[in-house]
Amino acid sequence: MADPKKARSNASPGAQGVNLQELERLLEFMGKHGLEEFEYEYAGFRVRLKKASHNSGPIFRPVMSPEIVVAAPAGADSPSSQSSSVREAASESSRTDDLHVIKSPIVGTFYASPNPGEEVFIHVGDQVKSGQVLCIIEAMKLMNEIESDADGEVMRIFVENGQPVEYGEPLFGIYPHRKK
Amino acid sequence: MFRKILIANRGEIALRILAACKELGIPTVAVYSEADRNALHVRFADEAVCIGPPRSAESYLNIPQVISAAEITNVDAIHPGYGFLSENANFAEVCEASHITFIGPSSDAIRLMGEKDKARQAMADAGMPVIPGSEGIVPDEDAAEETAAAIGYPIMVKASEGGGGRGMRVVSNAAELLLAFQTARAEARQAFGSPDVYFEKLIERPRHIEFQVLGDLYGNLIHLGERECSIQRRHQKVLEESPSPVMDAKTRCELGERIVVALKKLNYSSAGTVEFLRETSGKLHFIEMNARIQVEHPVTEMVTGIDLVKSQIRLAAGERLAEVIGAVEFRGHAMECRINAEDPETFAPSAGRITAFRTPGGPGIRVDTAAHADAVIPRYYDSLIAKLVVHGHDRAEAMARMRRALEGFVIEGIKTTIPLHRKILADPDFIAGNFDTHFLDRSAALTAR
Repeated sequence: MADPKKARSNASPGAQGVNLQELERLLEFMGKHGLEEFEYEYAGFRVRLKKASHNSGPIFRPVMSPEIVVAAPAGADSPSSQSSSVREAASESSRTDDLHVIKSPIVGTFYASPNPGEEVFIHVGDQVKSGQVLCIIEAMKLMNEIESDADGEVMRIFVENGQPVEYGEPLFGIYPHRKK
Repeated sequence: MFRKILIANRGEIALRILAACKELGIPTVAVYSEADRNALHVRFADEAVCIGPPRSAESYLNIPQVISAAEITNVDAIHPGYGFLSENANFAEVCEASHITFIGPSSDAIRLMGEKDKARQAMADAGMPVIPGSEGIVPDEDAAEETAAAIGYPIMVKASEGGGGRGMRVVSNAAELLLAFQTARAEARQAFGSPDVYFEKLIERPRHIEFQVLGDLYGNLIHLGERECSIQRRHQKVLEESPSPVMDAKTRCELGERIVVALKKLNYSSAGTVEFLRETSGKLHFIEMNARIQVEHPVTEMVTGIDLVKSQIRLAAGERLAEVIGAVEFRGHAMECRINAEDPETFAPSAGRITAFRTPGGPGIRVDTAAHADAVIPRYYDSLIAKLVVHGHDRAEAMARMRRALEGFVIEGIKTTIPLHRKILADPDFIAGNFDTHFLDRSAALTAR
């Protein structure tokens, strides 16, 4: 396996290239504007980002994070090694390294609010405390409250109300408060 | 027919069920643990749901997770395969309560066959020959002494809820009885949660012979002949074949008919296997019934030309036996070698990455496997990685094909039992059809050096 650190430093080909922060920003941009697919070209470097679609019913695949297709610049010296190193960096960014990810402990249906039509438990930007209820996952007619296991700010909500989730599926990304 | 089927299993049997569903045009849902993220059953199914961490208890055996996966993917049937939840009566019941068809016998039939002493009693009442033994469980030491003396030594002490050879003790005389009785009870309590044991007369040098049955939901049931499964190690089958070298058409027909009559009385449906021990005199005794599809089912498929898994699905969907199965005819001889990820001499499990994988082919050869080059065999599950099945017009041709297939089967990176099978296929007693369940234990040259 390639050393991730090395891969990250290699991921700056050409004048500017694509780096981790860049990709993170692009992903957020996509989320903000509700984009399914996005292509970005800069200084001879091209990145195509595509979200895994949830429209065709509950089809689960091992990789639930956005699919990232990276095209190497034309005429590059070693396109294969370059593209693979970028892919390495890209997959790191999609793991949202600095966020504490709360994953689903069970298989079931995700609900953002305590009852249909009621206010959701949390929004992006909310401060949450360890032990606070973040959502409900229904499994076999039982409503299971999922609690936060960290103090921090909610940065990402990876799933939508009513969406089926599998074991280990990322639900929330929390930026943890520093321990004192 | 079903809208969509969830396959609550992994490995080669998950792929086997997938194959049946694909041929029937039924969409599939795979479930998998984190250790099986890259497994073939996940890749080949139409949908896949991760149901837990690697340990089976938290994933493949976790009933709420499996049922939740079935609910969110909106399936109307679950095939449990073998092992895991396949003979769990509670699971079958939860499926029934959730309006999901459990592809297998009713929860009542599973429960009955799961309690070995009750199953034995029920089968005896229904007219099956059973091994002389205690009537139900043996409650205490006084009863143990009395019962053992009445049966006559040597006897077997068996856990009521046991299986797979666990919780068994051989007692050759009265002096050994009480200690064996106590330890068997303690072991049974630890392994199965119940200390209940029962006694059976020990059959010396027995052959293990089992009958495949198939029934519909309307009381129709047939048998599909026998499989000879005497080549075992510590009660685990190693090699199976059909027909048995010692079974004649008359005995097959007579015993088969008695099985059909008995199981009809018990209202048995779906696929099942009735296991017997055969004395050297030729007498056959019922020992237990497995209420599921079995590992060695391809042996029967090869000699009958019947797809047992597809039949199971069609029967569970409510088709009649006569529509699913035409006239049954036995053709030629079939043999199966279980290729395990184990050291062929010490039998220590050998998990890890397969570096090279080449399966044999050509006339009369079938390989059921979920392994491939670069696959990782996880250490959490069963060591079975491939079933090598051959068919020939007679036993000699089947053996010749098996030898050829074993030579051409290449697995590198992990240890497998292929070398053991090559030795068995070269053994004069095996070739002559002259063996019993102690064959491997006795043939020290085969198993250890």
